[in-house]
Amino acid sequence: MTQHPSKRTELADLVAMIPDGSSITLGGSFLHRGPNAVVRELVRQGKRELEIIKQSPGYDIDLLCRAGVASRARTGIVAMEGNYGLAPWYRKAVESGALDLEEHACATLTAGLRAAAFGNPFQPCAGIDGSDLPELNGWVQVEDPYGSGKGVWVIPAIRPDFAVVHVNDVTADGDCRVTGTSHWDHIMTRAARQVLVVAEREVDRLEFQKQPELTLVPHFMVTAFTVVRHGAWPGSCWPEYEVSYPDIDDYLVDAEQSLQRHLAAAPEAKERR
Amino acid sequence: MSTGSTTASASVPAPPAAAELSPFAYLVVNLSRFVRPHEVTFSGVNSSLPMLACLLAKRAYDFDFTYINVAGGVDPEPPVAPISSSDPVLTTGTASIFDNEDFYDLCCRGGMDLCFLGAAQIDGAGSTNVSAIGDWHHPKVRLPGGGGGAVMLPTARRAVTWRTEHSPRTLVERLDFTTAAGGMHGLVTPIAVFTLVEGRLRLTSHHPAVTPEDVASRTGFAVDVAGVPPTAPPTERELAALAELDPDGHFERDADLRLT
Repeated sequence: MTQHPSKRTELADLVAMIPDGSSITLGGSFLHRGPNAVVRELVRQGKRELEIIKQSPGYDIDLLCRAGVASRARTGIVAMEGNYGLAPWYRKAVESGALDLEEHACATLTAGLRAAAFGNPFQPCAGIDGSDLPELNGWVQVEDPYGSGKGVWVIPAIRPDFAVVHVNDVTADGDCRVTGTSHWDHIMTRAARQVLVVAEREVDRLEFQKQPELTLVPHFMVTAFTVVRHGAWPGSCWPEYEVSYPDIDDYLVDAEQSLQRHLAAAPEAKERR
Repeated sequence: MSTGSTTASASVPAPPAAAELSPFAYLVVNLSRFVRPHEVTFSGVNSSLPMLACLLAKRAYDFDFTYINVAGGVDPEPPVAPISSSDPVLTTGTASIFDNEDFYDLCCRGGMDLCFLGAAQIDGAGSTNVSAIGDWHHPKVRLPGGGGGAVMLPTARRAVTWRTEHSPRTLVERLDFTTAAGGMHGLVTPIAVFTLVEGRLRLTSHHPAVTPEDVASRTGFAVDVAGVPPTAPPTERELAALAELDPDGHFERDADLRLT
């Protein structure tokens, strides 16, 4: 059997692979199984001019707007969710023009990612009729070339530089497994040029060999991974931990200190000490 | 779970007096009443009240239906109703994981019978704005954004929305931006139920403590009040199911709904 060199690296080194100005698609959805340890490390490393691509971001994009890391976004629906409603720093960044937004429906963003994943310049998407979004984004409707007479909206390809996903288990080679729903992670990892992974734990390859159909991303697609236990904090990682609402309350306190306190309270920061 | 978690008692209690019917119970129960037998029904993110409505329908109604949620659950049996309506606890007891790509594709190919979709503004044709208040390019308020609507509203067989605030700034004559078009089949607020008839949202019933004229005066689009009856009060089973789902009343407190 061929032995691959381990793709495991430290969190700081993983994030150092992401240059300023990159486009990144972030896994998970709202408060659930986001690669939040990487998101916070992007802030600590003072990254600039990042483009965030995600159907349903929340805490992640809000934090990146708050810290001035993100300058462009393609999103479907953005909210803190739970009881919190709007994501406050994201909202301010769009209203002030600090964040250049391309507004999608979740399914149109998926169509763009599919175009990239399928190796096509565009991808048809159902619905959309009557919405102001096509005019806003310059989307085109084409006639079915096979003569049904039906018009079809086509969404241009979206090819992020990086997909960053948070998974439950990873092998030394970089094979990834997610428990429960994988949200949009499957198409994100197929659309992006490179895949970076944060895992709850590294497990033996033999474990994956028992049920290979549970593997979400095979190792050859993964550039590097790191292990951060509870790295999706303050969000959930099913079935290991739930959303930590008191920590989100703390994050939402509108004061510079609250951001520093939040970053210092993160699992990866505690681990380092 | 769809059969008899509460059994009808021999003595049927009097329905709650109009003033006692909380706007919260009114809204959730009337969302539940859009659920139909043997259909595929979906609730999404940022959607606590439709999530409760779907879970309520499973408990309070004897018929079978398929409940899919944004967490990937298919007919789940969650031990509690979570604060986040996309919480993975909504996959507890599911026999499959039907992920985000799957339920959108199902809707696109016409397989979603009833879809609950959020809205900030709704117009009389049942189109919605979830994008921005004011000019999209220079918004007064940047809202969550497109989400499911632009694709799901035109492709779902029926879509139903809700507003926790019933006012001329939420139910509008003209949207600031059309995020999604295609005609909401239903709209429920703390004081009224509307249904799409011939391309227009019509007032079909009103909270018994509020007059149809009051509903009309608080609605930005034209409302025909002639012959509109009060909404049938919640049944004992509907109220019991809601009490099970919100045992300490935190959803009701968070929603903070008002009749006036």
